[in-house]
Amino acid sequence: MTMTDSPPATDTAPAVSSPAVAGLYDALTTTDHRRIGRLWLRTGLVGLLGAVVIGVLLGIESTDAASTDVFGGDNAYFQMWALYRIGLALLVAAPLFIGLAMVVVPMQVGSTNIAFPRAALGAAWGFMIGAGIMVVSVLAAGGWGATDRATGDERDAVALTLVGMGLVIISILLASMCIATTVISLRVKGMTLMHAPLFAWSMLVTAAVWLLTLPVLLANLVIAYVDLHNGPGTFGGGLNGSVDIYHQIAWLVEQPQVYAFAIPALGVLGSVVPVAAGVRAARHAVSLGLIGLFGLLAIGAWSQPFFQNDGAIPHDEQFLFIAFGLAAVLPVLGAMGGAGDTMAKGKDAIVGLPAAHLMGALGGGLLLLAGVAAGAVRVIEPLELGGSADAVEGIGTLAVSGVGNLVLFGAITAAVGGFWFWASKIGGHELSPMMGRLAIADLLLGGVLLGGAQVVSGFFDTVNDPRFVPTAEAADALAWISTAGAVLVALGALGVVAAIAGAVRRGPAGGDDPWGGQTLEWSTVDGVFTEPPALVTSEAPLLDRTELEPEVDSTEGEES
Amino acid sequence: MFTTGFKFFFGIGVALVTAAVLYGYTTGGNWVGPISWGWKEGVGEHIGYGVLMFLGLAAMGIACTLIFFRDADPADQADYVGVEDIEPTMPVTGSFWPVIGAFGAGTMAVGLVLNTAIFITGLVIVSLVAVEWMMDAWADRATGDPEANRALRNRIMAPIEIPALGGAIIAVGVLASSRILLNASKLGAVVIAGVVAVIILAIGAMAANSIEFKINRNLISGLAVVLGVAILGGGVWATVEGEREFHEHEVHGSDSHEGDESHEGEDTDGEHDGEAEE
Repeated sequence: MTMTDSPPATDTAPAVSSPAVAGLYDALTTTDHRRIGRLWLRTGLVGLLGAVVIGVLLGIESTDAASTDVFGGDNAYFQMWALYRIGLALLVAAPLFIGLAMVVVPMQVGSTNIAFPRAALGAAWGFMIGAGIMVVSVLAAGGWGATDRATGDERDAVALTLVGMGLVIISILLASMCIATTVISLRVKGMTLMHAPLFAWSMLVTAAVWLLTLPVLLANLVIAYVDLHNGPGTFGGGLNGSVDIYHQIAWLVEQPQVYAFAIPALGVLGSVVPVAAGVRAARHAVSLGLIGLFGLLAIGAWSQPFFQNDGAIPHDEQFLFIAFGLAAVLPVLGAMGGAGDTMAKGKDAIVGLPAAHLMGALGGGLLLLAGVAAGAVRVIEPLELGGSADAVEGIGTLAVSGVGNLVLFGAITAAVGGFWFWASKIGGHELSPMMGRLAIADLLLGGVLLGGAQVVSGFFDTVNDPRFVPTAEAADALAWISTAGAVLVALGALGVVAAIAGAVRRGPAGGDDPWGGQTLEWSTVDGVFTEPPALVTSEAPLLDRTELEPEVDSTEGEES
Repeated sequence: MFTTGFKFFFGIGVALVTAAVLYGYTTGGNWVGPISWGWKEGVGEHIGYGVLMFLGLAAMGIACTLIFFRDADPADQADYVGVEDIEPTMPVTGSFWPVIGAFGAGTMAVGLVLNTAIFITGLVIVSLVAVEWMMDAWADRATGDPEANRALRNRIMAPIEIPALGGAIIAVGVLASSRILLNASKLGAVVIAGVVAVIILAIGAMAANSIEFKINRNLISGLAVVLGVAILGGGVWATVEGEREFHEHEVHGSDSHEGDESHEGEDTDGEHDGEAEE
């Protein structure tokens, strides 16, 4: 490709390399950020495969819920549905972005390693153990506490689900702390936060939002556990009559909080598009502001309809909820606009089929935009998509799930785009471009069908709880469309795994800077700063030399 | 003047506090309530108000920390301590403790639900990991030489670790062995005890003479590991299976024999032992 950009100007300094390690012993003890990142990424991919299988099974049952019984009863159906929704956020999107960040962010800010590498390793293992406890306990008749799970051994399984989820959240918080500290305190000299690369900045914002809000979820789980242990209603929640624990913690996967899992998608977009277009990113400071604003609007721990008093203003009619829902469109729209502007400036560089990473970044951004737009529609009270005026008060219509799925699949698609973009940094491999395009197209189309059909189904008053069989005929047709989307998403996920497996089998390839990148990670060799470890001397390290030294850059462009 | 990190977090803080007040007013709060943290009159929907207000204050706290440290900017840090460049971070040595700590946390989580003993086991593991982790973190920064750091750490911790590890291995070995012997028949227990003792003696002899007779140390280590795993696995299996059946003897005589009778008896083969034998 034509090279018009180059890494920022740097001075030489003593090389500090991460230790080269191999083998099981080192996998258990490593403090190398790339290895730790790969642990997270593998966990996220396993989670993705599990989630898409559950998604297809849920789709099959939803097409004829009255007569089809895939899971062995309504309750199991509900628990798997809840696992799917929570798993997409906590067990797929979060570890994928944490993994990418563990690998890329230290390099982007010019650090030789992640901050607190032992804590990062501990977080990775804690996450795996917690996720294992959570999933196994749901399969062992646990889950988020439907009423007939309240006795005997099943009560223990429910409690295990809660503690497993708690361990997952603590691990995510620990990893967030490592990432945020890396961006804040391990930047190379000369790189102020204002000049931080967009993915690094987006991960700082994400980590901040997670660190602020996920402890509230942890408190929710403690409340649910105490209620479960001491009898219903100690805190007024969990297993008391018709209410499940799920609805106490559902705010995690509903707007605005669900947006918190998609903030890094904007960072991927901001990192990939300028490189693909071969020009400098337009209005870097504005992009930082938009990502920060999206982070603010993704703080949703305050939106807890479960604990609202009877007679209070319904959740969906509250001013702040509506304002957050409508405003969230702006930063995503702005980021997409910025990406469009950048691409327009570098349209000559984009010829033929778009690269897989560009498809992933743009596709993820578009899905996210569709998600926040659907979220804005969902808060328009007269449409009653939230369902506060419906028979099943507080649960809402299927549009609530649709928004979540659009946003989460947007995040996952962008993360997959990030895989293709930073593949040479993650494992030194080159992923198949064609396989990438196919997989990302599947994810994109599948996400649109899956989430979009659910949003539309909300207009037909389909309840956001699989135990309520929809009554409208249109809802059946939409369930089929949604299931087709789930199948496409599954194919996409399989394609991603197959491409990665193929690349690993072929061995390292692709070089250290296959795209002509603009940020510091592209100046590493095998993921390590050999010389120099990037002491940035340029005042604006993200500026390309095209602007600073036009004549130098034009020569470089010709050479490449 | 104001750093980027400060602006971001302070902006979030102000926005959230403002949102809290707005939320309070729009969900039924009185005029004074939302701005006085509920000191006078109601704040509206108090859960959402409380979460927003405290998240806002937390964000402001982070903002103040960031501006105090100038966003941890390397140039500012170098200026502050009066050096040209901040030293690059020291490489951190690999360690098993994070993984062990994670398993300890998982054990605690499972034990919290299923069994107090499991929970305490997890707690002990996590506590040990905390101590070891702190020592490792201290030793990593003790001097500029990683070898010297390792030696320093080992000089302090080895006198504690080696006896503690040895004690733990002996305790687990004894416990597992006792479970196996209690599960086996009387004759079987004698045979097992004899065989294990002979193997231990053989391994010890091989280790002691490994240099003179050029015995492969990996072979000795492998044998020791196999024996250890066999005892541990057998102990777990025997614990699950339970002890062999003991028949209590009829008691004739003084109360002082009762204590013995509860422990001594006759096994399923009908063989007698103990003082209470008739």
